[in-house]
Amino acid sequence: MARSKEELLKLLSDCVFEMEDEEVISVAQEYLDAGYDPLEGITEGLVDGMNRAGVMYEEEEYFITDLLICSDAMYNGLDILKPHLPQKSLDGEKTYKCVIGVVEGDTHDIGKNLVKIMLETAGFEMYDLGRDVPLRNFIDKAKEVDADLICLSTLMTTTMPGMKKVVEMLKEENMYGDTKVIIGGGPVSQTYCDKIGANGYSPNAVEAVKLAKLVVGMGIPA
Amino acid sequence: MNSRERLLSALKGNIVDRVPCICPGGMMNMIITELMEKTGIMWPDAHIDANKMADLAASVYEYGMFENYGVPFCMTIEVEEMGAGIDMGSKKFEPHVVDYVIDSVSEYKELKALDINSGRAKVTTDAISILKSREDGVPIVGNLSGPISVASSLMDPVSYYKELRRKKEDAHEFMEFVTKQIIEFGQAQVRAGADVIAISDPSGTGEILGPKYFEEYAVKYINMLIDGIREVDEDFPIIVHICGQMRSVYSEIKQLKADAFSFDAMVSIKEIREHMGDKILMGNISSFALESADEEKIKKMTENVIDNGINIVSPACGLGTQSPMENIQAILKTVKAKN
Repeated sequence: MARSKEELLKLLSDCVFEMEDEEVISVAQEYLDAGYDPLEGITEGLVDGMNRAGVMYEEEEYFITDLLICSDAMYNGLDILKPHLPQKSLDGEKTYKCVIGVVEGDTHDIGKNLVKIMLETAGFEMYDLGRDVPLRNFIDKAKEVDADLICLSTLMTTTMPGMKKVVEMLKEENMYGDTKVIIGGGPVSQTYCDKIGANGYSPNAVEAVKLAKLVVGMGIPA
Repeated sequence: MNSRERLLSALKGNIVDRVPCICPGGMMNMIITELMEKTGIMWPDAHIDANKMADLAASVYEYGMFENYGVPFCMTIEVEEMGAGIDMGSKKFEPHVVDYVIDSVSEYKELKALDINSGRAKVTTDAISILKSREDGVPIVGNLSGPISVASSLMDPVSYYKELRRKKEDAHEFMEFVTKQIIEFGQAQVRAGADVIAISDPSGTGEILGPKYFEEYAVKYINMLIDGIREVDEDFPIIVHICGQMRSVYSEIKQLKADAFSFDAMVSIKEIREHMGDKILMGNISSFALESADEEKIKKMTENVIDNGINIVSPACGLGTQSPMENIQAILKTVKAKN
């Protein structure tokens, strides 16, 4: 007997939550074949699973490596469902754009990658500049795409001053305030954030999502 | 007691006349731009020339910053020797990895073995020999990057972390290979005259791995590394620096065979003491404060860690290169005055 939509949504969510990156593909296919709404499959199924994983991460039951594998399952499911989304299904809703990268001098990008995944899950349109990013590139990219948010990461004490520099450049370009800046990474702290005039600091990837929504004023996601 | 006797006694839990004040080097960077300008010895030159490396390390002691010598000044030597592409950085930035070597843990056989007689591995051991020849009672700390940090700099770390679960067998073979290379470098540092080895593994934290994988990969291979170093000298003193929060992995950290544990600013000495019992604890003056606060604040923080029973005073993380020298000197001044 065919499984109900609710059952399949729950399964999609569970596949992500339980790191079943192979099974999620067949479940997503079954969901599509049954003619159910792909957008709901994403938001109520895959993204729901990723959010549950995020809760476990906050409770220190899941760790960064767990989230990475959950996200693999989510992206495998997205690969199946996304092509079937009706064009412009998000018409009329504002798309929040975010430029993200690891500041110049540092190549540690594990935290950045995780934040990118979580923000993507939350509905942000992400522009990933990678690691060891020349500071000017953050400003140029933010201008080019009219970004709402810049996320800066570094795991090294020696490269932290780059974050300050990006905030200063935003001020020089009169973009400060319109484009928000949030920062994170091992040696970074709320005190540092306040000192350099960034709009927020997050100690981890799940908090980063709440913070990002807050600073850009993003409503409850679809 | 001279600085060397004091540090070695403290590391083994023996009686000291006062707490030592050190900064190991390696990931725990102790070089600031102000020092480079005063001595005229600059990064990146000092990463590739044994005399400059030794002289810059010595100047840390001579300028009253810390009571030790420490080399090298980065975490990239092991991976460079195994084939990774390195950007040598500048007088602000440390060297960092820009090109990985392999795409999967299964490809580890393609990696070069570390040759202690060439490249910057040799520069480092030569610098240690030069410092050793001073015979001035200042302890020499040799630094190693931990096995997970090395492994995750040889390939894309996201793939690496996933494969720790999905390709366990290959992952363990890879880790064993990597650890053996680091052991070679560590043993060479000991033979060259290092008094202490400090190991930092910032990519292998409990926050990243969780307790199960921390034990399976971090504890296992750091201990293998420690055992390997101690093949040269069975009581050789070893410091392990643990990055980030530790609360999810205290019982696993206790299995590490190090003499002393260095830890981050966000961990309170009281909390760690509760879990670690009578282990030798080292830390944890905030490197952010060292870069941005003033001498008075640093003095208070230093007094505070001593009052809370720290065994060795040191920064909580590597120093930012823009830290003012006065702030760094304030730690040692306070340690001495408190005596």
